[in-house]
Amino acid sequence: MRAFAAGIYPRSEALVQATRDLDRGRASAQAVAEQVERDFRELVSVQESAGLSLLGDGMLAWQDHFRPLAESADGLDARPLTRFLDTNTFYRAVLVDGEPWLSKPLPAPDLLRGEWLGTLPSPLAFSRAAQGAVGAQALAARVLAPQVDAWGEAGAALIVLSEPFVAREGGADELIAALRELPTSVPLGVQLPFGDAASVLPALAEAPVSAIGVDFYSTSLDAVPQSYPKEILAGVLDARSSALESPDEIARFTQELLAREPAGVALTPNGDLQFVPEPIAREKLARLGRARTALAEAA
Amino acid sequence: MSGVRFLTREIGSLGKPSWRVKAFAGRPLDDADLDAAEGWGKKLEVADHEQLVEGLRADSLSLAHVDDWAALYAIRLLEQVGLDVVYDGEQKRTEMYDHVAAFAGGFETRGIVRSFDNKYYAKAAVVEAPSAEGPQDVEEFEFVRAHTDRTVKVPLTGAYTIEDWSYDEHYGHEGGLGASAEHRYEARRRFVHDVAANVIRPNVEGLAAAGAEWIQIDEPAATTKPNEVPLVVEGFNEATRGVKAKKSMHICFSDYSALWPAVLELEDCLELQLEFANRDSRELGTRHEDRPGYAETLALFKEHGYPGVGLGVLDIHSDFIETAELVRDRILYAVEVLGDPGRIQVNPDCGLRTRSWEIVYEKLANMVQGTRLAEDALS
Repeated sequence: MRAFAAGIYPRSEALVQATRDLDRGRASAQAVAEQVERDFRELVSVQESAGLSLLGDGMLAWQDHFRPLAESADGLDARPLTRFLDTNTFYRAVLVDGEPWLSKPLPAPDLLRGEWLGTLPSPLAFSRAAQGAVGAQALAARVLAPQVDAWGEAGAALIVLSEPFVAREGGADELIAALRELPTSVPLGVQLPFGDAASVLPALAEAPVSAIGVDFYSTSLDAVPQSYPKEILAGVLDARSSALESPDEIARFTQELLAREPAGVALTPNGDLQFVPEPIAREKLARLGRARTALAEAA
Repeated sequence: MSGVRFLTREIGSLGKPSWRVKAFAGRPLDDADLDAAEGWGKKLEVADHEQLVEGLRADSLSLAHVDDWAALYAIRLLEQVGLDVVYDGEQKRTEMYDHVAAFAGGFETRGIVRSFDNKYYAKAAVVEAPSAEGPQDVEEFEFVRAHTDRTVKVPLTGAYTIEDWSYDEHYGHEGGLGASAEHRYEARRRFVHDVAANVIRPNVEGLAAAGAEWIQIDEPAATTKPNEVPLVVEGFNEATRGVKAKKSMHICFSDYSALWPAVLELEDCLELQLEFANRDSRELGTRHEDRPGYAETLALFKEHGYPGVGLGVLDIHSDFIETAELVRDRILYAVEVLGDPGRIQVNPDCGLRTRSWEIVYEKLANMVQGTRLAEDALS
């Protein structure tokens, strides 16, 4: 059973201070970049120590899920602050001022081929962030597809598409149609952070992806259909809670999930760990690894 | 219509003067800080402000005295621009969440999380039922009361926002993995209730006993989970029920359509003070199409008839100075939609803490002037 963490990882206190200093004119962009690199190396070490199956880069330089893509792609830019669901955080909505096209994809992280995962916004989330000014299919075909291709060629083992809206607002059909625009050269998963997935899980069984991520702090176990045809990325760490999960409780819950016989189960947080302070995120990852070990030993 | 008169108010926070910030951070003051203390002291006609300047220069003031001076400057600023209702710009508070979480029992700080870009905030966890040994803000209120003859409105962070912005290591932690939606909702309801009953209500009662005539409950998190708006209402009612004071609620940057019909259950709530200007055009005009930031939400007030409207007419995230005529037109449009000026009072969208005092002064002065223009037009 695999275990890994997609999405944006919290910044260390040193990186928080460096970025504050940058904003106040007391530090250079170079100093911040150097601290980002130190945070990245430390995060890799934390994940390796926890025994995670795939490594993430923590997206430490990403301000939100949309900004680097919106700023890199032709025809897109970043707009004013918009509240991100119920997290007391904000993202910059996407401004569409031309036909979107990502001619120069973002670079892959400095990790070994076949051992890392990348995170991108789902095409539906991207479209919602653009307030519908451009459709999910167009964004999938013209912005996300080149990025997926680039990361696939660079050795990504999995790309997780973060989709926080569909479980709350619907739109599964639009999402599935957009996903069909993406390359199949690398396994894809759709993660549904911080929402009750009960209403969309049946529809997403038809999605052209290999895995669906479910937040089990917002979704009842009963919502998972028997013999679900996708791997479940089981959100068993609560990324919005400072409480530390018990590895034994995670293992027990996962056994109950396995009894429903989905195509597979991987252990993950239920969303980006950036919503807790870094020391807490670090301990959560350690516990995720211990839960995975407990399950392996029980098997 | 004759004799129409709108009350003008701020919402709560103002930025803190650099001399106040540096004094609390233990950093040395420079000439610019002293010049600001002197310049604003003169401009606002703060009595004996020379004592502040000399005290800052000699580093002889206690932090409590620095806080008092900052509050006094803020009161004078709000008075001088002509507001009918004032407070102290929350000069003595860290920020609206930490102010409560650091005071109440049952919370422990967990660390720093990012809000957006390179902005962060400290977040606490509830680890046991919240409690308070007494009212939190009576001393603060009494200072304000003693230094102004205007009406005073006391802003308090609401129970739901405290709940929503806290980590929960007490109410919903056990059995949360894979639990039902009802289980999670009930845990949040108990958390809101305990904050309202054990922390906010003692403060409200203490303030009322000390003579506070107006309590404003701030709930910026009100609609972040639309199905939980009834919890916002429960928290307000639990905290304020039966208290003899005007009561109102401030909400901002939210989906207001989620508020009704739940807010009809708010007990004795004078008004909802909402952010509108942030969504509006900066062009003049009182036609429906001229005021896109107001039309949709005012229609909800019109349809439901309760409560009154605290009309946000200043964008607090911009240095754009709204002209008096723009303020006038926003008010006149609201009157046109509601058909009853008695349901409307005037304020900025939210607290102005992110703007400089120079910008705040101009914005608020124009807000007051624009309000008078609207009154003239209606009378």
